[in-house]
Amino acid sequence: MANVEFFTTGPRDDTFTVRLQGDWVFENVETLEQALNEVQPGDLGAVEYSCGGLQNIDIAGAWILFESSKRFEEQGKQVDFVGFRAAHFKFLKQITAINTDGQMGLDAPLEEELHGVTDAIAAVGRHVVDLVEDIGFITHAILDGIRRPSRIALRETIRQLDVTGLKAIPLVALIAFLIGVILAYQSASQLEQFGAQIFVVDFVTDSMLREMGVVLTAIMLAGRSGSAFAAQIGVMKLNEEVNALRVLGLSPNLVLIAPRVVALVIAMPLLTIVANLAGIGGGLVIASATLDISPAQYLNRVSEVADLKTLFMGLAKAPVFAVLIAAVGTLRGMQVSSSSEDLGAKTTLAVVQSIVLIIVVDAIFAFFYSMFDL
Amino acid sequence: MSDVVVSVYNLVNQFGLQRVHDQLCLEIQRGEIFGIVGGSGSGKTVLLHSILGLRHPQSGDIKVLDQKPMCFQRRPSRDIGVLFQGGALFTALTVRQNVELPIALHSKMPVSTRRKLAELKIRMAGLSVSAADKYPSELSGGMIKRAALARALALEPKILFLDEPTSGLDPVSATDFDQLIEHLKQSLDLTVVMITHDVDTLSQVCDRLAVLVNGKAKVGTVDSFLNDDTPWIQRYFHDPRMARALSGRIRE
Repeated sequence: MANVEFFTTGPRDDTFTVRLQGDWVFENVETLEQALNEVQPGDLGAVEYSCGGLQNIDIAGAWILFESSKRFEEQGKQVDFVGFRAAHFKFLKQITAINTDGQMGLDAPLEEELHGVTDAIAAVGRHVVDLVEDIGFITHAILDGIRRPSRIALRETIRQLDVTGLKAIPLVALIAFLIGVILAYQSASQLEQFGAQIFVVDFVTDSMLREMGVVLTAIMLAGRSGSAFAAQIGVMKLNEEVNALRVLGLSPNLVLIAPRVVALVIAMPLLTIVANLAGIGGGLVIASATLDISPAQYLNRVSEVADLKTLFMGLAKAPVFAVLIAAVGTLRGMQVSSSSEDLGAKTTLAVVQSIVLIIVVDAIFAFFYSMFDL
Repeated sequence: MSDVVVSVYNLVNQFGLQRVHDQLCLEIQRGEIFGIVGGSGSGKTVLLHSILGLRHPQSGDIKVLDQKPMCFQRRPSRDIGVLFQGGALFTALTVRQNVELPIALHSKMPVSTRRKLAELKIRMAGLSVSAADKYPSELSGGMIKRAALARALALEPKILFLDEPTSGLDPVSATDFDQLIEHLKQSLDLTVVMITHDVDTLSQVCDRLAVLVNGKAKVGTVDSFLNDDTPWIQRYFHDPRMARALSGRIRE
């Protein structure tokens, strides 16, 4: 006698019988499975499941029953079901059908290993091809805009200028101000040791104008606008709006990509100037509050340090970064296909890649500047 | 001009190793409602995109109204209207602006005329004018399809392409939409090409069908396909749903 809760077992003639009772349902599957695994029919040649006192059975319960019967069949025993109502058997039949249909393929470990190697080689090749395709696509889009500038959607450009430029001012100004504060604090603690606090102004101004202003702005815009570009265009792709545009004879290059590139190329240098001013302002606040440098002294020093050359060395990078961010964002958006999961992946990719590219290109700029002793 | 408005010859479309269309040939006659059916993955939408010029096929020759596919032309013709599967309305524009946009792109008519013409098209598609100033996000599924139809009709097309026009609609709206299409076809002298899974649409509205099987298109009528012995076609046309739809046709 095994588990009296769900079934009773016992030999009858040369048949081992399992008499079901109670509820063979989802909630009891764990107990049922354990109990059934403990059943040992010994050396009897046949197993018979009889419905007996069975009250409820669902797919999960029937599956457990089926699994146990299969175990006995594998041991070479004859299995029989007796007294089941039609409804119960319908479940079992379904399960048997599923089980015999789904024959899985055989393992092929060697082939898999080979696949691993060839797949890796193919993946490298695909990346190169993708890269060439990407560059080609975006170059074509930008050239399209340069060739037919009058057909770039003007209203969309202005809207993008508002969203990516004007509305970004508070954020860019705040971050740049705080970076100015940080730079001033950091440099002050070092320069104080030499009694050269006034050089805090040089440090803050020079680094804001040359590097921090433009790179910060670029990174802010990559996160703010690059992702928006990818997501907006990606949704339009999913919604087939891009196809609808093309059917109407509107080129996505001129209606979607060019306005965003143009807007960012205009907005980025202006935002960089905002960032420069805010950063220098941050330095001023710290200098006058903690370093005994009056605002007048500070501004005097700024006007000595900040020459046009330094300003333009920073500003020259702005349009380059703008094109990078807009190109990567719109390109990834256009590559969205088929699913909202893809949309998320492409948006993330747009932000990550544009930030990486910004840093790489900034390093290249630094290299060339030092080569020409600027 | 010949009576063939769309001809597809030896079309091959391939994604990686999977060949979706293998030397597919197809001709669509002027003035018919032509249905395209096939299992999922049989390349119905890819075929539509190839005909419209939204994708470059690996090989093959496609002519629409004796010209190359519209998106490959310098200036797409006005003769083709397209209703995409999800409607593909521009979400940033109202229904009216959606319908006005193609008109504005192709004509220099005054704004007031354009507005009235757009309103007419919206009413023709079975929408009330009150819906005209709503954004697509404020519309129900059936209304989106109708608004998209209004946009497709905006330029007085000769051929109307519909990608699953009745999918996602309740049976009553679907029947209404079918009747609308048939009515428009007759009053506007349209040729209609539609991808559809709706057995009622297939059996009641379509004059001829193309069934996409194994990368080829088999063209015929519902009745001719009932006697076809290709396994997939057998299953499709002898499905209980199809049988019910066909018995409905006989009763009418």
